[in-house]
Amino acid sequence: MRTNRSRVVSIAHKEFFHIFRDFRTLIIVLLMPVVQLIMFGYAFNLEIQRVDMAVIDFSRSTASRDLFEKFAGSKFFHPFYYDGSLSELDGLFKSRVARVAMIVPQDLERQLLYKSQVGLQFVVDASDANAATLIKNYCNQVLIAYNESRGVEFPVPFDVRSSILFNPDLKSSYFFVPGVIAMILVMISALLTSIAIAREKEMGTMEQILVSPVLPYEIVLGKVLPYIALAFADAAIVLFIGFVVFRVPFMGSIVLLVALTTLYIITALSLGLMISTGARTQQVAMMLALTVTLLPTILLSGLVFPIASMPRLLQYLTYLVPARYYLLIVRGILLKGSVLGELLMSTLSLVVMSLVLLFVSVRRFSMNLER
Amino acid sequence: MRRVVHMVRKEFRQVFRDKPMLAIIFAVPIVQLLILSFAITTEVKHIKLMVVDFDRSTVSRDIVRAFVHTDRFDLVGRTTDLGEIREGMRRWEVQMGLVIPDRFNEELGRGLKPQLQLVSDGVDGNSAGVAVGYAQGILAELGMEHAMRYGTAPLTGNPAPVRMQERMWYNPDLSSQQFMVPGIVVVLLTILPMMLSAMSLVKEKEIGTLEQLSVTPLRKTELLIGKLIPFLFLSYVELAIVTAVAVVVFGVSMNGSYLLLALLALLYLFATLGLGIFVSTITQSQQQAMFVAWFFMVFMIIMSGFFIPIENMPVVLQKLTYLNIMRYFMSIIRDVFQKGSSLFYLLRDVVPLAAFGLTIFSLSVVNFRKRVG
Repeated sequence: MRTNRSRVVSIAHKEFFHIFRDFRTLIIVLLMPVVQLIMFGYAFNLEIQRVDMAVIDFSRSTASRDLFEKFAGSKFFHPFYYDGSLSELDGLFKSRVARVAMIVPQDLERQLLYKSQVGLQFVVDASDANAATLIKNYCNQVLIAYNESRGVEFPVPFDVRSSILFNPDLKSSYFFVPGVIAMILVMISALLTSIAIAREKEMGTMEQILVSPVLPYEIVLGKVLPYIALAFADAAIVLFIGFVVFRVPFMGSIVLLVALTTLYIITALSLGLMISTGARTQQVAMMLALTVTLLPTILLSGLVFPIASMPRLLQYLTYLVPARYYLLIVRGILLKGSVLGELLMSTLSLVVMSLVLLFVSVRRFSMNLER
Repeated sequence: MRRVVHMVRKEFRQVFRDKPMLAIIFAVPIVQLLILSFAITTEVKHIKLMVVDFDRSTVSRDIVRAFVHTDRFDLVGRTTDLGEIREGMRRWEVQMGLVIPDRFNEELGRGLKPQLQLVSDGVDGNSAGVAVGYAQGILAELGMEHAMRYGTAPLTGNPAPVRMQERMWYNPDLSSQQFMVPGIVVVLLTILPMMLSAMSLVKEKEIGTLEQLSVTPLRKTELLIGKLIPFLFLSYVELAIVTAVAVVVFGVSMNGSYLLLALLALLYLFATLGLGIFVSTITQSQQQAMFVAWFFMVFMIIMSGFFIPIENMPVVLQKLTYLNIMRYFMSIIRDVFQKGSSLFYLLRDVVPLAAFGLTIFSLSVVNFRKRVG
């Protein structure tokens, strides 16, 4: 088999026209990562502030007013007095007026004087378990401050100092800029390519190309090249916005990043190719690509949700997701200044993966064509 | 009327003829539900902990044991080399380092308040914040225990401390699945109708059959009704399947009324189908339709409170969420499942959902053209 450069170039040229003619898709492909970046960068915050707290105060004493003030002074809470009975709490939670209620007993001051410790009842709307845990921790913090202000002291035998490396301000944008890059590369490389090939099949134009002198792998190469260019352009846009808007650092080597990004794109393209061999229509290709590429990339790669918190079985599944490795690579290079030696396992995994995928899909592709 | 029936029959046939598509419609949501409900967790567990123990005393061993006892921390190594923490983090093998200084035990005994150090990898800012919180909690408890045991506890006669006695309503076990799984049902109930309606209408446009339909006496509304009824039906079947899996497999407790849920789901489905029609009116090919639909989906999912609580977002983004129909149905389904809320409490979500749904639906129907070009 002789590669004919001009044939590959013409197919690539044709595919470029396809992409640029379809202006709407192009705009979306370029715009979507930006919007996602901004949404993730600004919206993703698991720390709750100003939780609405109903205070049912049966005591109406100086002590209970002090307690109220302590909660009002904390940035976590927005307390308000509620003159109702305990049975109305359910309605309070259901109408989402409050997420936590503090019930101050009538004899609070007496208890404070005569008991060795006072249990104060809090009812938490725990429908969101995460939020409920946070609310509980915040309540405890406020109570500790209240106790201290009253002279109750728990001598702590040692101090704890906490320091944070690589992202000292714990900015979520540092985490999501690389994540959005990983996602957008898969979307273009796997999703767009598989649809583009399925489209030719569905329309019957694939057969027309096949009767021409172009060799099958030339078709694939030609179809894939424009998407590689698009993928790189998109990644560059995201990276640029990351630097300019979110001031994400770039600690490592840009050459290494480009090299390993190319590797990742090849892996994703092979995946897209494999999907296209299994799908005859665009709809099927799209649904398959969504299920096999995009969703795992978002869910099972550590892009948003920590892998270590998942059940074992699902953790094994994540080893099959290319983005899992690429995320370590891109986050490592950008934020930690990692060098190749530290990213060896991830790099090798990607290499093996793309070799296997490429082998299988090229075989299936030519088998499909012979039929 | 007869024309609509024919149209519906034709659409059903088309859906059921396409076997891979059918499998995708029914099997994929179940797989997605299974994977999503395990994958989507904002809990932080199995944090990789490296201990740098210069003290090597019983106390330092107690500290390490307290960390390893929980499923929050996994001990990945012990060392006496501080540099290994940073190195381990660069190789992604360590997420947190705990440094116990030399003569910690001795200084503790003499009441000198020695200092422990926690070093965290902050790349995943949210998880790191939570992890530090856990670690400090464990250490505070240890400190308290130590104080009690060795008599540095507060003397009697001091004012009584106030302690929290919490009761967790609606979800006493604090299981995050009770919250997430109903949310996933909403996500799945958005993807299917929106994608299906957008893709199938655009497909007719793309392969030119819409023009063929336009020379038939079939009216625009009849065409749309004929298209939408099968999708409504399929989406309902999906809702039933996914809800059953949620309740039976995941043990999500349903405290409200299934009837209410079904009725409000109908409202939501109209809105999402309307969005699907809308997408089909602004696109020319299936590929475009898919991307536009996906674009909407991502926006809707992130801004719905599905896994990022809306009240934590900046105010501008919070206001933006009011435009998101998924936001309303997300609250509705969670409240019906978990709190058993009645329609009265849900009105604040039902009213805007109905208003938006109706607007989107009628706008898209008006905007939809039978003729091409």
